[in-house]
Amino acid sequence: MIARAPSRAVLRTWGFVLAVASVILPALPLGPLFAQPPIPLAVLWAAYGWAAEDESSWRAPVLLALLGLLHDQMAGGPYGLFPALYLSAYLIGRIAAVVMSSPNLLSLWGGFAVTALLTVAIARILAPLGLGDNVSVEPYAEAALITTILFPFVRPLYMSAGPSSRPQPGLR
Amino acid sequence: MARRRSSVRRAGAARRITPGVLIAIVLVAGASVLVFTHAGRNSGPAQGAMQAGDDGAAVAGRAATGPLRAGESVFDRIAALWDETGRIQRLEQENRDLRVWRDLAQRLAERNARYEALLRVPHDAFGEGADVEHSIAAQLVLDSGGPFMRTLVANAGAAHGVRVGYIAVNENGLVGRVVSVGQQTSRVLMLDDYNSRIPVLGEGSRVRAVLAGQASHPPDLYTTPFQPQSPRLDFIVGAQSLREGERMITSGDGGLYPRGIPVGVAHRDTDGQWHVALAAAQRPIDFVRLLPYAGVTPPEPTAAPNQAPPLNSTSTVASVGHSTMAPPPTLAPPPATPRPRPALDANAAAPPQPLRPTATQPAVAQPSNGEPAHTSPPAHAPTQTPPAQTPATAPAGTLR
Repeated sequence: MIARAPSRAVLRTWGFVLAVASVILPALPLGPLFAQPPIPLAVLWAAYGWAAEDESSWRAPVLLALLGLLHDQMAGGPYGLFPALYLSAYLIGRIAAVVMSSPNLLSLWGGFAVTALLTVAIARILAPLGLGDNVSVEPYAEAALITTILFPFVRPLYMSAGPSSRPQPGLR
Repeated sequence: MARRRSSVRRAGAARRITPGVLIAIVLVAGASVLVFTHAGRNSGPAQGAMQAGDDGAAVAGRAATGPLRAGESVFDRIAALWDETGRIQRLEQENRDLRVWRDLAQRLAERNARYEALLRVPHDAFGEGADVEHSIAAQLVLDSGGPFMRTLVANAGAAHGVRVGYIAVNENGLVGRVVSVGQQTSRVLMLDDYNSRIPVLGEGSRVRAVLAGQASHPPDLYTTPFQPQSPRLDFIVGAQSLREGERMITSGDGGLYPRGIPVGVAHRDTDGQWHVALAAAQRPIDFVRLLPYAGVTPPEPTAAPNQAPPLNSTSTVASVGHSTMAPPPTLAPPPATPRPRPALDANAAAPPQPLRPTATQPAVAQPSNGEPAHTSPPAHAPTQTPPAQTPATAPAGTLR
C-alpha cells in the first residue's frame, strides 16, 4: 500500500495554520518553547511562498495584512507595523520569483534569506517611527534568523521548488 | 515576427503588476502611513480597537491556556515524585540555613527599630504614596511576545477600577505600569521594555539612577520566557558608591512611581555596565497587584502662625540633641579658671544638660540631695587643668 502525498491544498492549509500559530502562541503564557524569538516568524514563510505561488490572487496580500494586524494586536501595537513588514516580504518575494527563472532549493533559501534581511532593514526604519527611538530590532533580527534557518524544513507547506507553478517572466 | 515579439514583451510586462501586487503595494502604503503618522497607536479609534482586542484576546487566552496551566501542575507533581528523598533533604538543609538567616534578620530588625525609634523616623510604608487599600489583584492572561515591545495583559480593567498609570507589582517587587485599559483587561508596560525609564535609588548607598529597559535576549534567558530581562542603569549619580548586590528601590522622582517599591538587585557586567536583576523576575509573573498612586501630600506653602514653632525645645531635633548630644562649649570662654575634675565613674550616666550655658546664665548642676553632682566633661571642653590646682572654693559640677 502506497501512501499518497498530501495534496497541495492540504499543505497550504497547514502552512496557514502554522502562520497563525506563530502569531498567537508567543503571546500566550505557555512556556519557554513558545516564547519569542525561538518561535519563528512563520508569516514570513507564508509571504515568501505565497508570493511565488499565488502571484495573481488578492487573497495573499489581504491575509498577510490581517495576520500583521493580529500580530500588532497581540504585541500591543502600533497598528501597521507588522502588516508593512509582511507585505514588504510579499513584494520582495514577488521580485525574487520573477528574477529566479529556474529555482532550486538553494536559490530559494538564499532568496528567502535576502527577503528576511530586507525586512529587518525595513523594521529598522519603521519601528523607531512607531515606537520611539529606544526600540531595538535585535529581537526581530534574531527571530528572522531563526526563520531563515528553518526555511528548508517548512518550504513544502508554502511553495514548491520546481518552476512549473512559478510565474515565468514574459509568459502569459 | 517583429510585431509578435513586441506583443509578447508587452504582455509579459503587463503581467508583472498583478492585482495581488497592486493590493500589496496599496496595503503597504496604508500601513506605513499608520506607522508614520502614529495613527495606529495614538488615535482614538486605534486605542479603542486595541483595548477591545485585548479584552477579546484575554478571553481567548484564558480559554486556551487554562487546561495547559492545570496540566502543568499535574506533570510537575508527577516529576517531583522521582526525586522526593533528595528534594526533602535539600529543603531541610535550606530550612536550617533560613532559620539562621531569620534569627539574624530578626536581630537586625529589632536593632533597626530601636535606632529608628531613637531618631524618631516616620514609619516607612510599602511604596510611600501608594494607595495599597485600593489595590486590585489581577492575573496575567497574555504575555505579548512581540519583538518590539514588552507588555503584559492582566485580566482587570476599567470595570474593576483600573486606570492608566496604576503601578503593577507582584509579591517580589515592581513589574511595570499600566499604559492602556480596556473594559476587562489592562496592558502593563514592563520594566524591561525599551521605552521604560524608572528613577531608582540604591537602598544602602542612596545612589540615584534611571533604570532603562533594553529587553535584550541573552541566551540563558531563553528558558525563562516570563522573566523580564535585566534593565540597564543609566545616569548614575555617584556611581562609585553603588555596591554589587545592592537592593534598588524606586526613588519616587518624577511623581509616577511611589518611593520605596523594591525593584531588584544591582550587579555589574563584565563590560562595566550596571544592570538590575529584577526582583519581580524571581519567579514567573502570574498574579500582579495594580496599585493606584495617590502621591505624597506636599507641605503647606506657609506655616500657620499660631502653630508651634518647629525649633523650640519640644521639636524632634531639639529633643534628640537634648538627650544624645553633648553640649558645645560657650562661644566666649572666660579666662581659664580652675575647675573641678569630675568623678571618674565611666559607668555613671550623665544627667541631661542644658544645651548652651552662657556667661550670663551659668549652668550649674544643682544636686537635689545636696551632694556634688557627677558630670561628664563636655566633648569640646577647653583644656583641663590638673586637679592639684583646683581651688577648694570652686563650685562642684560647674560647666564652662
